[in-house]
Amino acid sequence: MRLQAALFFAACVSPAAAIYTDEVNHIDFHHALLGAPSPDSTFFLKPSTSSNASLLYTVSDKSILGAVNPRDGTLVWRHDLSRSASGPTGGAGILRGLDGNNAVVGAAGDYISSWGAQDGKLVWENKIAEGSVADLELLELEDASATASGRDTLALVSNGAGVVRRLDGDTGKTKWEYKDDGGDTPFQVSSSPTEVFYISLQSAMLKGYKIKVTSLDSLTGRQTRQHTLSSDADVTGPESVLFVGANTASPLIVWADKSQKSLKVNVIGSKQVNTVSIDNTSGQEIQQITVHAPHKLNALSHFLVLYRTNAGSWAEVYHVDLKSATVTKAYQLPFVSGESVVATSSIDANVYFTRITDSEAIVVSSASHGILGRWNLESPSSERASGAVAEVVAKGSSIAVRSAILRQSGDWELIRNGQIEWNRPEALVDAVAAAFVDSDAQEDLAHELEIEGHDSLHGAYIHRVKRHVRDLQHLPDWLKELPKRILGSILGDEVTNLDSFGVAKPVIVATRKGRVYALDTGKQGAVIWSVQAVETSSWNVKAILIELGEATIYPSDGSSITLDVSTGAIKSRSAPKDINIQSIATVENQVLAIQADGTPASSFDDSTGFLVTTSADGRVLGWAKSDNKVPVWEFVPPSGQKVIQAVARPAHDPVASIGKVLGNRSVLYKYLNSNLALVTAVDPKGHTAGFYLLDGVSGKVLHESIQIGVDANQPIASTISENWFAYSFYADSNDESAAKGYQLVVSELYESDIPNDRGPLGSAGNYSSIHGDSLPLPHVVSQSFVIAEPISHMAVTQTRQGITTRQLLCTLPSSNSIVGIPRPVLDPRRPVGRDPTSAEAEEGLFRYAPFLDFDGRWYLSHSRDVADIKTVLSQPTLLESTSLIFAFGGDVFGTRATPSQAFDVLGKSFSKLQLVLTVVALAVGVSFLAPMARKKQVNMLWKA
Amino acid sequence: MSSPLPPPPPPQWVVAMNSPMARPSKAASSIPDPPGFSSSRGGKQREKQQQQPAAMKRGETDDLKMKKAWEIAIAPSKQLPMNGIMMYMSGNSLQIFSIMMVFMLFKGPIQGLINTNAAFAKYETPTTRGRLIAVKAVYVLMQLLLLALGIWKVNGMGLLPTTRSDWLAWESERQPLERAYFAFR
Repeated sequence: MRLQAALFFAACVSPAAAIYTDEVNHIDFHHALLGAPSPDSTFFLKPSTSSNASLLYTVSDKSILGAVNPRDGTLVWRHDLSRSASGPTGGAGILRGLDGNNAVVGAAGDYISSWGAQDGKLVWENKIAEGSVADLELLELEDASATASGRDTLALVSNGAGVVRRLDGDTGKTKWEYKDDGGDTPFQVSSSPTEVFYISLQSAMLKGYKIKVTSLDSLTGRQTRQHTLSSDADVTGPESVLFVGANTASPLIVWADKSQKSLKVNVIGSKQVNTVSIDNTSGQEIQQITVHAPHKLNALSHFLVLYRTNAGSWAEVYHVDLKSATVTKAYQLPFVSGESVVATSSIDANVYFTRITDSEAIVVSSASHGILGRWNLESPSSERASGAVAEVVAKGSSIAVRSAILRQSGDWELIRNGQIEWNRPEALVDAVAAAFVDSDAQEDLAHELEIEGHDSLHGAYIHRVKRHVRDLQHLPDWLKELPKRILGSILGDEVTNLDSFGVAKPVIVATRKGRVYALDTGKQGAVIWSVQAVETSSWNVKAILIELGEATIYPSDGSSITLDVSTGAIKSRSAPKDINIQSIATVENQVLAIQADGTPASSFDDSTGFLVTTSADGRVLGWAKSDNKVPVWEFVPPSGQKVIQAVARPAHDPVASIGKVLGNRSVLYKYLNSNLALVTAVDPKGHTAGFYLLDGVSGKVLHESIQIGVDANQPIASTISENWFAYSFYADSNDESAAKGYQLVVSELYESDIPNDRGPLGSAGNYSSIHGDSLPLPHVVSQSFVIAEPISHMAVTQTRQGITTRQLLCTLPSSNSIVGIPRPVLDPRRPVGRDPTSAEAEEGLFRYAPFLDFDGRWYLSHSRDVADIKTVLSQPTLLESTSLIFAFGGDVFGTRATPSQAFDVLGKSFSKLQLVLTVVALAVGVSFLAPMARKKQVNMLWKA
Repeated sequence: MSSPLPPPPPPQWVVAMNSPMARPSKAASSIPDPPGFSSSRGGKQREKQQQQPAAMKRGETDDLKMKKAWEIAIAPSKQLPMNGIMMYMSGNSLQIFSIMMVFMLFKGPIQGLINTNAAFAKYETPTTRGRLIAVKAVYVLMQLLLLALGIWKVNGMGLLPTTRSDWLAWESERQPLERAYFAFR
């Protein structure tokens, strides 16, 4: 006991093992995600004129702006533009950058900002008061007002009418403004070396739109001329215009006629519309036409048009004659069946097109059809590509290309000369549900042992012999693996390979866009497989249940999808029902869907079981066997309050000791009840929050705590485990003595306040919530702490037997991190206003301090920027010391938590090689000395 | 036939050995014996000398034996203060030194108790047997006192399962008769 106490105290003095630097990227992994990149706003860019190195810039459909290192796919920097924009940004933002300009300009909604391209530092930001940004362009023209540092930005603001603004590159101030009062739909801005063009769509008399081009003076913003292109027969809306060329020497407007027989091309500034006929020899209907043109000012005015049909695609390259503003076809890239995407890149004036098909990547120059480079793709992806960007490097006569392919799902990969360099699983960004998979190898054995246990002695013996003979077939493989395993364990950098101890578990993740991923926590979160389970943009998954190698996903529409855990193959689907599911419960292997009003969709059959649900109108309901119409009890919070959250003890929540040993070695018995639920109810008007501890069987309120001055708009998180619960909220108070700020309250439940007393139930082995004497109330000890930042989600580490001290896992949204607060710090019995007595010190209690400062060692995410985490899962492993942590929602982060240090794992300093060498040296020594000693003994016998 | 010859006179050394040594003259007796030579009498005389007091003072010897036995019986109590101070000084922490001392403290009395009869075997005669019982009882009591000291020490170190917390592992969690399933999210 003393020993335990001493160890415990030692654990409290250094409350948690921090993560060591050599464990980073070894025990933890982090997918720093951006979201699906927008093809129009993704590009390679050399941020510095002095260096040839380039970065990949993108803005995603979640309006996250980021720079990715093309070498290894790591994130250099990122910013969430939607946080700064007021109101919803409505899809992807816009991002523009120029080579050699150390700033990229991004816009989302009404927010426009310029960021240092190398370091991601803010240069300037602007909020548009009257509307949202429709288009952005960086001015490449060299005029007197252009400064060396930052290029000016052209912004097209749309609020019904269009406003073109020129913003200073260094300060973001408006240099000039042009207002279009014509009532046209603002479309895009473009610029030539001398002029700025404002392109708007003017609705025609009958239907369709005419393209109106307004030329503006780039210095003053005054309108110089205006003309309309008669496109009303072809253009039905903004999406009909295929391309508006930017910053080329001859900016273009390209659209196609409705029958897709001919292509109309206008060089902006001229009134002439060139019509190029499309000679479709494939015999199929054209599905999509995309135009690819270089964006550089000094690049040749060539462009490529890619025609995509259902079966394949071909491309045509056109040259623009600058003098006559006419377009001529140069050559054609042949029809290739399957997917293909084209990317444009330029070196000085030369323009190169990279075409990536399912099987190969080719590079052609815009000037001639000769193929400059051709690479076979090693492992072509089955997924559709939605776009690509490429960077071509000429090394003497040969050419190298690296291209980033954006997949339909949002994932992107970098292919360098036909080889896949890296892959970013961006579609993981909106994970809505996840579940750990328990490997079933152990389950098989357990099943076999169960059979043997129930058989007769003779039968069991035969069965076991048969099983062992059957196991012999694995022997050759095992023997083959053996030398590798031994060598690996001696020479490998990890002392013990812990994968067989349950630290390498697959996690099934379902995303909002209907994709399902399996990630391997043992291989730094590598994607094992990914499947598009449903074509949707808002998949509201309620639960993922894993059973016998199959994962069943239950979305809110009442359907279900069953996948094979190891391959991702979809095994079965069930059709959606006409109900809105709020949650999923499993009662004795029976899956119950709970509707939004809290009623179970079907009744269940478990006579001692009670089902507890929450309803959308803010009540908690209890249901008994075979009745899904009338609840047996109902918890309605006081008037004004509404239940916003309810948590119960985790399904796996083992309790190692049923009491707490005090310093004088008496016992304070824990109030342990597996049916506890902690319900949070909030009154937004009265600024109160109530935290109610309910018994899930009888619905009786065992404890309640009302907090006043609570801001209901700030995150309120709560969790319950073992015999304690914790919650956090933001409280504002005018009372001088009351705390103001973010608070974390922790409460412990005991059977009695007297040590060595088991409360009214005494030593009874069972208790009932509804029969006999009523359930005794717990003795509650609470303490609250002021914390520096909000907590958006709480979870508790879980270990196999619950012997290891627990950590309270808190998600901190303002610092983008996850912190694991050790439970000994959050002990509500810490002495207040005095130093602990020796007995208390022995127990591990130390003086209460009202401000809880998060120790740097508690941060499980250490220096990582783990953004937008919604949920944190914890899973026990076969090692008692270790708990697996998986966090998802925005980024995906996984680690191993060892709240009491890794006491059952050999440390890294342990050298197996040294041990083996010592044993070998001893054996050699003995083999030398043994004959000598024997000889001496014989000689002694003769001499005596 | 002539009569057989009388036996030859015994040699001088036989005569000298059989007849007691002539008393040395006064002058000779004053000469000190050479170093290492004892002028005490022969074996028979020594036997006589030893037998004489035993035969004479049997009661006295028994008293003497009892006195000796009492001394042995009381001896463990002399260790008590020393051991007590040592135990007090060594502290209640679990260290190899204090553990060894406690071990020795237990080993001594237990061995003493086992060897109670052997310790008093020397003094045991049919006459003293009855009187030795009380002596042995005191001896056992003294050893028990030493043991009690050891137990006090072990208790101080917290090694005795005397508190509720020591039996906590054998107490089990109360099982609920009903079970609630939660469908929260």
